[in-house]
Amino acid sequence: MELEQLLHKHFGYSSFRPGQKEVIEALLQEQDVIALLPTGMGKSLCYQLPAYTLEKPVLIVSPLLSLMQDQVEELKRFGEKRVVALNSFLSLTEKRYVLHYLEQYRFIFTSPEMLLQQQVQEKLAQMKLGLIVVDEAHCISQWGFDFRPDYLRIGDWLSRENRPPILALSATATKKVVRDIRETLSLKAPFEFMYNVDRPNIHLGRVVVEDKADKARWLMHHVTETAGPGILYVSSRKRAQQYSEALLQEGVRVAAYHAGYGVEDRQFIQQQFIAGELDWIVATNAFGMGINKLDIRQVIHESMPANIENYMQEIGRAGRDGHSALAILLYAEGDEELAKFVVTGDLPTLHHVDRYQELLSQQIQPIQMLKNGELSETAFRVLDYWLQRESSEQVKVRLNHLALEKYNAVNEMLQIIQTKDCIREHLVGYFGQKLQKKPENCCENCGIHYDVIKKVRLKEKKKVEMATWESRLQQLLMGN
Amino acid sequence: MFHQILLQIFQKLNKERTISAAYHVLRGKRSGQTIQDIGLFQLHQYFGLLPKLSRTTFDEAVNLFMQNSWLNVQESGHFYMETLGLQRAQQTPTFFFDGWHYRGNEHVFFARLSLIVQSLSHQAAAVRTFSPISRDTMIQAWVRTFLQAHHYKEGHLQQQLLTECNHVLTILPVSDASKQLVLYRLSGYQLPGWTWQQLADERKETVLDSQLAFIETLHILLNEVHQKIDDYPLLGHVAEGLKVKILLTDSAQQTAQLYEQGYSMEQIVQMRKLKQSTIEDHFVELAMYEPNFSIGPFVSYDEAQKVWQASKQYQTKKLKILHEALNDMSYFQLRLVLAKGEV
Repeated sequence: MELEQLLHKHFGYSSFRPGQKEVIEALLQEQDVIALLPTGMGKSLCYQLPAYTLEKPVLIVSPLLSLMQDQVEELKRFGEKRVVALNSFLSLTEKRYVLHYLEQYRFIFTSPEMLLQQQVQEKLAQMKLGLIVVDEAHCISQWGFDFRPDYLRIGDWLSRENRPPILALSATATKKVVRDIRETLSLKAPFEFMYNVDRPNIHLGRVVVEDKADKARWLMHHVTETAGPGILYVSSRKRAQQYSEALLQEGVRVAAYHAGYGVEDRQFIQQQFIAGELDWIVATNAFGMGINKLDIRQVIHESMPANIENYMQEIGRAGRDGHSALAILLYAEGDEELAKFVVTGDLPTLHHVDRYQELLSQQIQPIQMLKNGELSETAFRVLDYWLQRESSEQVKVRLNHLALEKYNAVNEMLQIIQTKDCIREHLVGYFGQKLQKKPENCCENCGIHYDVIKKVRLKEKKKVEMATWESRLQQLLMGN
Repeated sequence: MFHQILLQIFQKLNKERTISAAYHVLRGKRSGQTIQDIGLFQLHQYFGLLPKLSRTTFDEAVNLFMQNSWLNVQESGHFYMETLGLQRAQQTPTFFFDGWHYRGNEHVFFARLSLIVQSLSHQAAAVRTFSPISRDTMIQAWVRTFLQAHHYKEGHLQQQLLTECNHVLTILPVSDASKQLVLYRLSGYQLPGWTWQQLADERKETVLDSQLAFIETLHILLNEVHQKIDDYPLLGHVAEGLKVKILLTDSAQQTAQLYEQGYSMEQIVQMRKLKQSTIEDHFVELAMYEPNFSIGPFVSYDEAQKVWQASKQYQTKKLKILHEALNDMSYFQLRLVLAKGEV
């Protein structure tokens, strides 16, 4: 059957989205694939469709349990019954059952942790898999913010003989991460597909200001005068709090968002933003993962992003509906110094290496460092992983190298800001692509007619009022 | 509210303990000392109200009290309340916390309820997928079982739960604002909850005070549900297993079992490879929370009487002073008597 026919039969779509067909064809020819596709661009179809021609189970390794559950649900909605999530949600009895009948499933979702368990490995070794999918593959890279050692460890398991083709999926694409993915998973001459990074409907603004106070003045004016929905990215939790309070005072429907809030609070803010109860979110870079709001009109950076990839991902949240959107980056001389300070703040230091060994020699578990709050969780994960494999000296070299890479990334971002040429062309070029066509109001250097794009804020938008407890209860349970 | 609670605790501990004792009570520290303080000074309602209370927040409040001349704290951490502070404490309202019986489990209750309400809200709107408000897999599994047990697929659970919630909230002796507070921490289909910051802004108070008002309301609600369990088949189920019945620490529990089997204190010290003082702590805990435990084998009736007389005479429960007054008795004996309570 033609791929298009299969697509229609199982998923009801009449045509592929960019990249899907190429990826699927490569997989069906038993070639390894790295596919870089942003969220919402049909990433999962790349392994869902092949499953129907392979007649062998597809194993999907996914680090995020909630995401895994979503994908299972999605497949079930399409009428697929032979799908299972082999994860820590299962009770012992359920797990035993699932393992026993594992080859009967078409889609087997599992976590890296689970994959490291011996009984799971043994079972999988006896089976003939059609395809192995590594989702969120950037987690494998120690360059990434989400570095997960368990993910690195499955690299060993995946490099065995006679394995089926591997499909590595990710939304974030840096050259280094791609290299890490290729090496850690031992991919053989993989076919690489990358989506077109250019987003022609996002206009790339840049505003150079004198100093911090100047920045604050510009921001307060801009946010109170122009229309959202928008995201204002700032560099720290404290800053997020301050701006959100100041804007609230001015009557803007705004909330701060950062990792310091509880899980429920963070969800509430996202939901309020999606429901249109908030016009602005003042956020640290913790905001954005999995946010699905199509009509974001503005993304403003109060400070410099750590690297070009982050910048692209953050502005990419604007204008998903295809309509015009505005990305504005504020810059004051010396901002790169703060950015460098922030990006290395999360790295383990040479001191941490010595401290780790000191604890070991005292027969104390090094995890004590984390419990004492001496370093962040990400930093500890990185440190712990490497020190179990290499000498202190080697790890120190590695860490220095890591810091240097992060500095370089900030400098690359600075070049984007300082360029006198087309910003869009630079950005697209950074990802190894060539800009096809410059849109109108392309970027600050090409010229933007702000008055055409910017909408004026409607001041009559009222804050949502609290309902009585009786009517709130009624609404929650009965929907009216 | 936080300040009022602190004033009340300080008032009860006045001149007897260091300020840290109050901190440990609020954090719910499971140490022999704190557990005994709870019984001696009747601090049950405040136990473990704020397990994550930071020392900075606590110290800020203490400093404020000192600046206001409510409290005088000595170098050693011991303190006494100034006249002004005592007056302030008198003016605070009576609270209805029940920290001793819930110990943070009110949050488990609310996490279950939140996910149940969220699920039912989406079901009512015929929306099948949503991202669960609780990521805790235990809560998710629990709620799944709950929904199935109550046949949610038939579509009547919404109405049943609504009726029960309406009933309990109507009769609950708390302000409408407190009920609103609880309702706005729930969320549903196209009905986001409000963040603590948003609620605190609306109520014109600190986030901590909003959180305390929320906890108090839940404690009152849980006690109502437990008292009339037959009236609340659904909420009673949601609250299942959350009220602490065994009031002893796990370790004291083990000591109690060995003691019941007839082993002496010295033998228990040997068997459990613990310090004598630790085992003594366990016995004091037993004296405080096990009504059937007799201190007779350790202290005579006359001795107990003497302790109470001295305590009244010197207006204190401080061991050091009592020990000076009754120097033929050990600290352990004194603690047992105080823990058992006046005969």
